[in-house]
Amino acid sequence: PVLPEGWSAEKDFKAAGTLSSATQRIVEPVGPHFLAHARRKRHKRTFSEDDRI
Amino acid sequence: MSDEESSPQRVAIGISFGNSNSSIAYTTSEGRAEVIANEEGDRQIPSILSYVAGEEFQGTQAKTQLVRNPKNTVAYFRDFLGQEFKSIDPTPCHQSAHPREHESTVAFSIKDTESDDENIVTVSEITTRHLRRLKNSASDYLGKKVNAAVITVPTNFSDKQKESLSKAASEAGLEVLQFIHEPVAAVLAYDARPDAKLSDKIIVVADLGGTRSDVAVIASRGGMYSILATAHDYDLGGALLDQAVMDHFAKEFIKKHKTDPRQNDRSLAKLKLESEAVKKALSIGGSASFGVESLADGIDFTSTINRTRYELLANKHFASFTRLITHAVEKAELDVLDIDEIVLAGGTSHTPKIASSLRNAFPPTTSILAPSTSPTAINPSELVARGAAIQASLIQEYETEDIEQSTHPMVTVTPHLRASIGVLCISGSESQGLFRPLIDAETPAPVRRTAQFATPKEGGDVLVKICEGVREIKVTRAEKPQTNGRKEDDEDSEVDSDDEPEEVREKVWRVGKVLAEAAVKGVKKGGKVEVQVNVGPDLAVQVIAREVGGKGGVRGSIEKPAVVENGSA
Repeated sequence: PVLPEGWSAEKDFKAAGTLSSATQRIVEPVGPHFLAHARRKRHKRTFSEDDRI
Repeated sequence: MSDEESSPQRVAIGISFGNSNSSIAYTTSEGRAEVIANEEGDRQIPSILSYVAGEEFQGTQAKTQLVRNPKNTVAYFRDFLGQEFKSIDPTPCHQSAHPREHESTVAFSIKDTESDDENIVTVSEITTRHLRRLKNSASDYLGKKVNAAVITVPTNFSDKQKESLSKAASEAGLEVLQFIHEPVAAVLAYDARPDAKLSDKIIVVADLGGTRSDVAVIASRGGMYSILATAHDYDLGGALLDQAVMDHFAKEFIKKHKTDPRQNDRSLAKLKLESEAVKKALSIGGSASFGVESLADGIDFTSTINRTRYELLANKHFASFTRLITHAVEKAELDVLDIDEIVLAGGTSHTPKIASSLRNAFPPTTSILAPSTSPTAINPSELVARGAAIQASLIQEYETEDIEQSTHPMVTVTPHLRASIGVLCISGSESQGLFRPLIDAETPAPVRRTAQFATPKEGGDVLVKICEGVREIKVTRAEKPQTNGRKEDDEDSEVDSDDEPEEVREKVWRVGKVLAEAAVKGVKKGGKVEVQVNVGPDLAVQVIAREVGGKGGVRGSIEKPAVVENGSA
């Protein structure tokens, strides 16, 4: 949508709320994408750190 | 891989171990999963063991012994593993060796040696013998000694059952690298195809077996799978369809010869074997012939049946399959409209009528992956074994400790988004705007998604509004269609009564909480805005919005929610 008149915020970004609480579920430990996820989680890497490796 | 290597090299296969049939599969050097045929040429190897004068038979050879030698033939034993005698249902074993209580487990009393004495063989020992034979068949085929496997189990297999299976496998010289769930293996078999495109979708896997059927609703998000709900039916399966065929031919036989072949155990066993063969033939052809030598009282019997007749005979069972599947969807608190894909797995999924009944029960947007509805469908009997083989090839290089750590609940229990996150388009107000989802609900965090959104034609300054969205089902009663022609097949007419206006159900988005707003200034005419949303493991969110091709862009972060509530897993 078009930016309304008079809208302003610091660095053009305004946080308005937080995510709803999540449900804890079990991810099936299967497939290449899970293994990548497990690797990131065990080494506490983020996506971009993982991309660089 | 060199031959000189002295360290014990792992050669891993995928095993689908079922009550009725088992399959073995491996992954080729090109990364394609292939199901291995045993020395008899069977890819679906009946999970049956039979003993004749001390000699062991398995698979199809053992299955034929159900007629002559039922007392020393063991079948349908998978579900007895790791169970107490009082908790098992011995019904499927009615026509083979009966299970009995032995200490804390289940056992069979069979003559498995040359002597005439009956030995008590535990179900765990039977499993070991079966797995050893499967391992040897795979080793012969591959020319290498197989020593490890990924084995598939139903989603409701208890830890005790897994432990017993693991022990039975190691007795057979197989290291179980991992147990994976049957429906997930089926999804993996599809997603691992080279031409497969990963997308976020809700998949229903219906594993329709011989003596039981299992349904799982799975959220597939960027190649990660989470099971949302499962449903099991221990009476529904191919055996019921066999029964329908059996009863049909038995009645025909009685009409001609005045004896019921079902009264005599041996005649019944013959009838059963042939009925199963007829059922399989009817999944491929429009008609099938039935023939048994000396069915009862020394009378040979031949007859034919066509598919239409068979579908009529088994109609109520086909309806039960559909019901089980829609029930699982309800259990996941979803609507049939939410289902993107139905994967049919298991031998009974070859039946064309099951797929076509599902076609009627689900919207046209749902794709049904079965041989009769999709030309690209993989053989449903092979899916689970293939998935196991793919997983085996992925993890066979790992240290055992690595596998254990990766599958630990610390890793697998992950927060899943309760609502979808998306961008509000067209208008800034929640009542007029159009919600475009970017990350679907039930996506595990952390997750990163990027998408492009169109901007107003004239360009200029644009507001990107990130919101949560909830899918709702809108029901509108449409006017009766003008062409009120009668449906050609009368079976359907009772379903939609002519007096009621037809209901139109559709998915709509209700915009929930607004999460953030960002301004992208000076967008060119017809330009597009790229939005990336990055949800962290603690549900803190980073947003980047920039014009496509533009520099810089707007960045911002949203704090994590205050309390993380524990939901039901």
